[in-house]
Amino acid sequence: MAAEAGLSRSTFAKLSPHPYLLANLEPSSDSAAPTRSNGRAPFEVRKPTVNLSSLSHAHGSALVRTGDTTVICGIRGETILTEHIPNYRASNTQTELSDYDLLVPNIELATGSAPQFLPGGPPTTLAQTLSTRIYSLLHSSKLLRAEDLRIWHKRAADVPIPADGEEVMEESDGEKYVAAYWVLYIDIFFISFDGNPFDAAWAATVAALRDTKLPQARYDPDREMILCSRKDPRPLTVASIPIACTAVIFTGKETKDQAPDGKFWLLADPDTLEESLCNETVTIVVDCAGGSRRILSISKHGGTAMTAKLLGSKDFLDWASKRWEDFASAITGTRL
Amino acid sequence: MAPPAAELSHLPKADGSANFSFGGYTITAAVNGPVEAQRRDENPFEALVDVNVRPAAGVGGTAERQLEAILQPALRHLIAIRNFPRCVVQVTLQVMEAPENAYVNSKVMQPRLNLGIIPSLLHAAMLGLLTAAIPLNTVASATCLAITNATAGTTIKVDPSPTEIDQATSVHVLGFTAGRDLLIAESEGSFTAEEWDRVLQTAENVCCRGQETGNDAEMGGYGAESENVLQFMRSVLEAKAAESLHWR
Repeated sequence: MAAEAGLSRSTFAKLSPHPYLLANLEPSSDSAAPTRSNGRAPFEVRKPTVNLSSLSHAHGSALVRTGDTTVICGIRGETILTEHIPNYRASNTQTELSDYDLLVPNIELATGSAPQFLPGGPPTTLAQTLSTRIYSLLHSSKLLRAEDLRIWHKRAADVPIPADGEEVMEESDGEKYVAAYWVLYIDIFFISFDGNPFDAAWAATVAALRDTKLPQARYDPDREMILCSRKDPRPLTVASIPIACTAVIFTGKETKDQAPDGKFWLLADPDTLEESLCNETVTIVVDCAGGSRRILSISKHGGTAMTAKLLGSKDFLDWASKRWEDFASAITGTRL
Repeated sequence: MAPPAAELSHLPKADGSANFSFGGYTITAAVNGPVEAQRRDENPFEALVDVNVRPAAGVGGTAERQLEAILQPALRHLIAIRNFPRCVVQVTLQVMEAPENAYVNSKVMQPRLNLGIIPSLLHAAMLGLLTAAIPLNTVASATCLAITNATAGTTIKVDPSPTEIDQATSVHVLGFTAGRDLLIAESEGSFTAEEWDRVLQTAENVCCRGQETGNDAEMGGYGAESENVLQFMRSVLEAKAAESLHWR
């Protein structure tokens, strides 16, 4: 079709990406299956691959790749003494993670990962939005437990403590209290960027947290600091594997007004080109661990093609569950 | 809970402005536009929509960028942007008051997304756009719901207070257009598909109830004390129009 008009395929795609995608999704002959410009079926996702512990100096790290989106997440633990935390309350055992900011995610969209990211300048809106979404989801999904980040210390009782050994100290009847906390710096770095940043960044975060092993730490009251030992590092308890699934809605018209017949395509795991052509996006975060499906977050913006009915439909939720299986097996599979 | 209150066109220099308060939040919206867009940003086919959210204290951080990222596509969908190529419609939303939560250490900078504020921001922006006489495709309203899991079973609370949001197992913000189409959905917490269905139902009833018929019987089940915001917006605009045309 395009060849008859004297245009090569790639020229047509560059000149008018919107009609090009539409022509691919709505082929003129019945024999051709509707595909997207990138060759995938509308609901087909890019297969994720996960590589754990690739960074030697981080306490935990993961590299996640889906298609041409590659992101690496490194987690580094630092300690903070409770006496250095402003408005610290020992009675607070519920909201330590958010009150004391024990989780610090940061996203960097590297120069060169995609043409639109230029060097210098403040973090882009996209980077800021992504880091807030990761931060909010880390807290609202209750992925981590505060007890993994506490560093306990037993205040010396009146009896003199024998010089050698914590075992003896454990038995002494001094009062046990939290001397310090681990603060997790979660740095997410995009090596290459081709759409759907949130899914990849979140999967990398979850995989890296599952990979994280914190050193044994104890409080030394004489030096008033935390001492760590490399022996038997302790993994974090990350019971669940929440996975984000993003899709965009392509309405087939370049105007934002919906087509009169209301026809639209749900394109799963969009790439940069598709993201630029679609206004409406939907992201669902699910956790299907243990057979039961829990939804941890749903976010939908930018249009009304995706109705409430479709958003709660079984097909959509089953698609999310299937994507969860893909990601979860990629995250846990490399662990074995 | 106090009924919503609004003040229209109270800023003399802005094209349109509104003050909206509900549920402890007070938001001032200032709308300017359509004005010429900067050369490098302009779109030859449609108007840009620029949303700025400013917090009650301090300068905006990442959470405000996220609020803007939620509101901007919604407003873009509502405004007839193709009528104004190469233009920009600027919506500035200043948080004047936020409800105090006495049980929580409140920090000036909150890096976490505050879902409870989204309905008020959207309503203030809607009123601002309407007073600026920007052509709109439709109007929209939003509501915030919280699910609490008590021993007595799960309950859905409409327009929860910050304390209730803290204690809830999941919090949802849903926005519907006047045509009952889902425009915004933003949820966090942990919930099942059945709970999600109930949330969608409840939110649609809260946002769209009584539009066609205006009968009160429908209001029974779902927090009858919370007024329908679309009706509220209509009544304040009618009052404002009547006041402006009084000289005739």
